Amino acid sequence: MWASRSASGRAVRLGALAMSASLLAGCALIEAIPADPDGTLETVSGSVLEVGVSPNPPFTDVSGDAPEGTEVTLVESFAASIDAEISWTVAGEEELVQQLTNGELDLVIGGITDQTPWVTHAAPTRAYADTEEADGSTTKLVMLTPMGENAFLAALERHLDEVSP
Amino acid sequence: MSRTLGRIGRTELPPEQAHALRKAKRVEWLSLGYAAIAITLVGLVMGGSQAMRTAWIEDMLSTVPQFAFLIALTVIRRPPDPKHPYGYHRAMGVGHLVAGVALLAVGGTLAFDAVAGLIAVEHPSIGTVQLFGTTIWLGWLMVGTIVLISAPPVILGIVKMRLAKQLHSKLLYADADMMRADWTTHIGSIVGVLGVGIGIWWLDSAAALFISVGILWDGVKNTRASVLDLMDMRATTVDQSEREPLIRRIDETLQRLPWVADAASRVRDEGHVFHVEAYVVPKRSKVRVTDVDAAVEEVVALDWRVQDVSVAVLSELPTPEREIPPR
Repeated sequence: MWASRSASGRAVRLGALAMSASLLAGCALIEAIPADPDGTLETVSGSVLEVGVSPNPPFTDVSGDAPEGTEVTLVESFAASIDAEISWTVAGEEELVQQLTNGELDLVIGGITDQTPWVTHAAPTRAYADTEEADGSTTKLVMLTPMGENAFLAALERHLDEVSP
Repeated sequence: MSRTLGRIGRTELPPEQAHALRKAKRVEWLSLGYAAIAITLVGLVMGGSQAMRTAWIEDMLSTVPQFAFLIALTVIRRPPDPKHPYGYHRAMGVGHLVAGVALLAVGGTLAFDAVAGLIAVEHPSIGTVQLFGTTIWLGWLMVGTIVLISAPPVILGIVKMRLAKQLHSKLLYADADMMRADWTTHIGSIVGVLGVGIGIWWLDSAAALFISVGILWDGVKNTRASVLDLMDMRATTVDQSEREPLIRRIDETLQRLPWVADAASRVRDEGHVFHVEAYVVPKRSKVRVTDVDAAVEEVVALDWRVQDVSVAVLSELPTPEREIPPR
């Protein structure tokens, strides 16, 4: 009687241990998804974030010494959240997308909308804000990240959700 | 006499088959309802995954045999008329062909897309989505949706398989076969999405290729089967695996008749019914018309699928139907 009770008690403890272990492993796996095939998020965290800026005030303004504008501020707060320093590259959108595809840049901004034709070359973020065009219509603003770097994309989108609800 | 003639090209079914047909119709409508829900849900969460897109198109394609069956059903019910003396049964075969070609074309396109994606080293992007204030990875939503929708087609497929055999409908059989195998598509798309999740970009295209090859194979099988039937191939069992055993029974029935020396028949599948042309060599040169009529009646009584029987009396057998070894 006693023996069987303690045996069942041990079984329960073992089961609980196994369950929590697998739960922990499961959580670790879920945390690890999505991952970057080229490891962008890991590379830039605590290091340097290569950002391409194409001039498009008020989102991006490169007339001064350092880039300014609403998107520049967003990228700065994102970089801070992953403990990264920003290295800016100023050029036209096409040039920047080319560099993004080559892996020379991690992020491209410049008042790009979700109607961007670059979707075959870059992965746009989910729209993070609306903006009003000159003709009164609204468009949705996005940023461009490298194709398939999904951990980086998810981290950026998560940050944008937090700072611009 | 009139009873025999009345059976030629008839469109009504025996009670058991009529019941199965009504059930098949209900199950097909149910399948279409399921497809509408699945297509909407998958369309909402599809994102940048090639495997999900392929599974989505597969879901849409799976409705082609269902529509074909339902449309064919309304057509075959028309009675024969002077312009269409054989009735409209072949509509089932035409539906089968249409479904087969649709699968073939789309399967090929999707397979090409998947291979092109692999060659171009396309890294699929799957971002996040904001749901009730929390940001989650869209991939989880995809996996959840697929798990949710993957069980019904397997069950529907099994039910349809049984009905297809009862009704001897190759179109319904093809539809059931596809639905029963639907879970491989769904597992494939889950593998693709999770592959992207853990950073193995090519798993997505590989999964898409796997799914599209499945569609392509369905297309090849069904196009081939329907074309052969429309070319008046000797009737086969509903899965096309072997010669229809009924042919032997028809021949034996006729050969057993006291006035018959030898008999053979040509039997073709008209979609879900058989048209039988039987050739009989009599023992004597005189044959009574009533004997021939009785022979027709006996063949018709063998099976509900036998709907159009003509018995020709000849001095020797002209038919190639018999298993004669090649010269």
